[in-house]
Amino acid sequence: MFELPILLQIGWTSLATSTYYVLFAVAFALTLKVAQVWNFVQAGVMGLAFYAMYAAMLKWGWPTAAGFTFGLAVAVAAAVASEVWGYRVLRRRRSPGLLLFIFAIVVAEFVAYLLSLLFGTEPQSLKKSLVSEVHLVGGVAITAWDLEALGITIAACAALAFYLRRTRQGQFMQAVADNGELAELYGISANRAYVIAMAIAAILVSIGIYLYGTRASMIPNAPLELILLAVIATILGGIGSLAGAAISAVFLSVLQSASILVIPSQWQSSLTYVVLFVVILFFPTGFRLPAWMAAKMRAR
Amino acid sequence: MEYIYSVLILIGINIIMASSFNLIIGYGGLISIAHPIFFALAGYCSAIVSMKFGVPIPLAIVLGTLFSTVLSVALSLPSLRVSGDYLLIASIGFQLGFVEVIKNIEAAGAASGLTGIPALYSGPLRSPAFVVTILAVAALVVWLVHRMTHGDYGRAIQAMRDDEECFTSLGRNATAIKVAIFAVGSGVAGLAGALYAHYSQFLSPEQFGIIQSGLILTMVVVGGMGTTWGPVVGALLLTALPQAITFVNLPTAIMAPLQGMIYTGLVLLFLFVRPQGLMAKKVRQ
Amino acid sequence: MTAAIRLVSVQKHFGGISVAEDISLEIHAGEILGLIGPNGAGKTTLFNLISGIHAPDGGEIYLGDQPLSRLPIYKRARLGIARTWQHVRLFPTLSVLDNLLMGPRDYPGAGTDERAAAILARVGMSEARDKMPGELPFGQQKLVALARTLMNDGKVLLLDEPMAGVEGQVYETIKQVVRDEAKAGRAVCVVEHNVSFIRDLCTRAVFMFNGRIEQQGTVEELLASEKLAELYFGGKKGETRS
Repeated sequence: MFELPILLQIGWTSLATSTYYVLFAVAFALTLKVAQVWNFVQAGVMGLAFYAMYAAMLKWGWPTAAGFTFGLAVAVAAAVASEVWGYRVLRRRRSPGLLLFIFAIVVAEFVAYLLSLLFGTEPQSLKKSLVSEVHLVGGVAITAWDLEALGITIAACAALAFYLRRTRQGQFMQAVADNGELAELYGISANRAYVIAMAIAAILVSIGIYLYGTRASMIPNAPLELILLAVIATILGGIGSLAGAAISAVFLSVLQSASILVIPSQWQSSLTYVVLFVVILFFPTGFRLPAWMAAKMRAR
Repeated sequence: MEYIYSVLILIGINIIMASSFNLIIGYGGLISIAHPIFFALAGYCSAIVSMKFGVPIPLAIVLGTLFSTVLSVALSLPSLRVSGDYLLIASIGFQLGFVEVIKNIEAAGAASGLTGIPALYSGPLRSPAFVVTILAVAALVVWLVHRMTHGDYGRAIQAMRDDEECFTSLGRNATAIKVAIFAVGSGVAGLAGALYAHYSQFLSPEQFGIIQSGLILTMVVVGGMGTTWGPVVGALLLTALPQAITFVNLPTAIMAPLQGMIYTGLVLLFLFVRPQGLMAKKVRQ
Repeated sequence: MTAAIRLVSVQKHFGGISVAEDISLEIHAGEILGLIGPNGAGKTTLFNLISGIHAPDGGEIYLGDQPLSRLPIYKRARLGIARTWQHVRLFPTLSVLDNLLMGPRDYPGAGTDERAAAILARVGMSEARDKMPGELPFGQQKLVALARTLMNDGKVLLLDEPMAGVEGQVYETIKQVVRDEAKAGRAVCVVEHNVSFIRDLCTRAVFMFNGRIEQQGTVEELLASEKLAELYFGGKKGETRS
């Protein structure tokens, strides 16, 4: 049961499937960092992006690229709309944080209901067949999907890192994240930064949901559960750290897959919730190295 | 007649749920979506101890209520120690997680539901007796929430919501107040759940999904958060509304999401157009 | 003389900005310490660190011999750390009396109606006890906020700009109260821009700049300092306002 090839296979597959978790988590962490909202609207954006792609590719028979672009456009439009007509209005009224929370969570639920009304609750995916071409490398099965997913995710994360570090607009966003009021004093518009953060998050989410939809199937309620993993990864990675969120997402994905070896499969989906409580109990401010270890690292 | 009784009982249950949720969200300023799960946990606990261990039903109801109260502290204490935001996140996990857990426990009837729960009352006057009991409990809960949120303790709750940092700097333990509010609110939801279990004699995981969270939230927001009568009005309106929709014969596949859209749509509408709800509190300076 | 409150190498950063850098400081019982420095120097942050709003990144704060940094805000208040805020922060929906009674009422001598009445009389606000804070002029709101702080009969009194925006009778009352509190054995620390207030009341003063203690000593020494004039007022001494 614990033979090396099996472990390697689980390791590889969970690394590949972690790609969409990484994208969801980074998107969630980005909006939390820049706009300071726990953006549960993202679950709605995920659902809309998926079903837009699904309708375009499978119902209307568009080519993959066109279908993806359509889903992306819908996602970005929805995310920007939620910021401009939702969050911004509530912020301007100085609504208590409670109302922003209610808004976010209720929008996510509303979209889930809307999608079940339009598309039903049968599982759907973006391809007629989810079987992908397989290569055997040293006893480990590597599918074309795995390689595509890893490549796309690494490219997306690199592009985001480049944007935040090297471009002017990206640096503005960092400034707003650090101190919104101060940034306003220097003539950097916080509202603009929020919109851009939402749009970028929507792009990441669209890529993630495309990868998800070409490997697994989707129901309208699934995004709400998927986003919970993004939330856990964000907290575990330390709020404000995108890289932390990404790494935690990989860790959680590997943990979830590896759990097959030790717990019965019907309990597997409960594992996420157990992890959530462990994280909130023991790592509420993110995973940190123990003090002595951190000191050693600094000394180097 | 039986139909009217069942609607009255539903109204009573919803008043209890909305009033106790209002205590948590409207007065305590705490956001949680796990309110239905405390209803469920007490219902299951009470049902199982009475079925499997022969505990008398009234005692089972008390045990169920306590069970929910204790679990609510287990949820709120660690998350509130960090920040109010974490309570919402933990509550999402609690809500989705426990539905998942119940679906997998054979002793609780798993996904198909738990049947054969003994009834609290039997005989020809069974239904009116339930109506009286549940409406009396509802009235008691409305009164309890009113008492708790007015007077000395109520002023402390108000001050805590106005300026928590300043409130704690005066030496008041805000976390303790929040945990207490959450425990009382969740315990009351548990009481409703336990009563309901011994009325309907059937529990299934579908009865406590996220759609119920949305429904209760809608009642409170539409009626008016942080008011005594808001949740009562909200519960009346939103219990009557779906009854009206039921008369229109639609297939479940359309019905369920449509209801959900109406609930969440109403919340959004009120959030932006009339955030203070129908039973508006006097406007503060 | 032992220190009522003692800060040892306290540090705090926000993002890349250091708001408290290696702050060591003692405040003694019966002393009025003035904390001066330009806006953003870290004076209020220091109060926030002492009262527990912020946790320090390093160092320790002692109340007597008791280390504070692991205690939550409310426990520190109960141990006797009382503070006011730059903005008065009265509870807008509660009457003046209820504002005073909001502190804990579950230990001996604290929070009784009689005590509140006596303290209101001391600041000359007995008339206003049933009014809402919003009905009072700003100066009187400051008096109520001070009165609310005095309900905590503790060892340390932290006053954040008590004189900002007040004048005349209110000014005199606050001055008298601060003097009396110190006489009664409290350690008082005042953040204040009003130089004459500092000169009249404080025995010792500390000058902060960019999260650091630049200089400390008697008020005369500090006010005579070239460095302070340069950093604080951006000009030469003699141009200082009073």
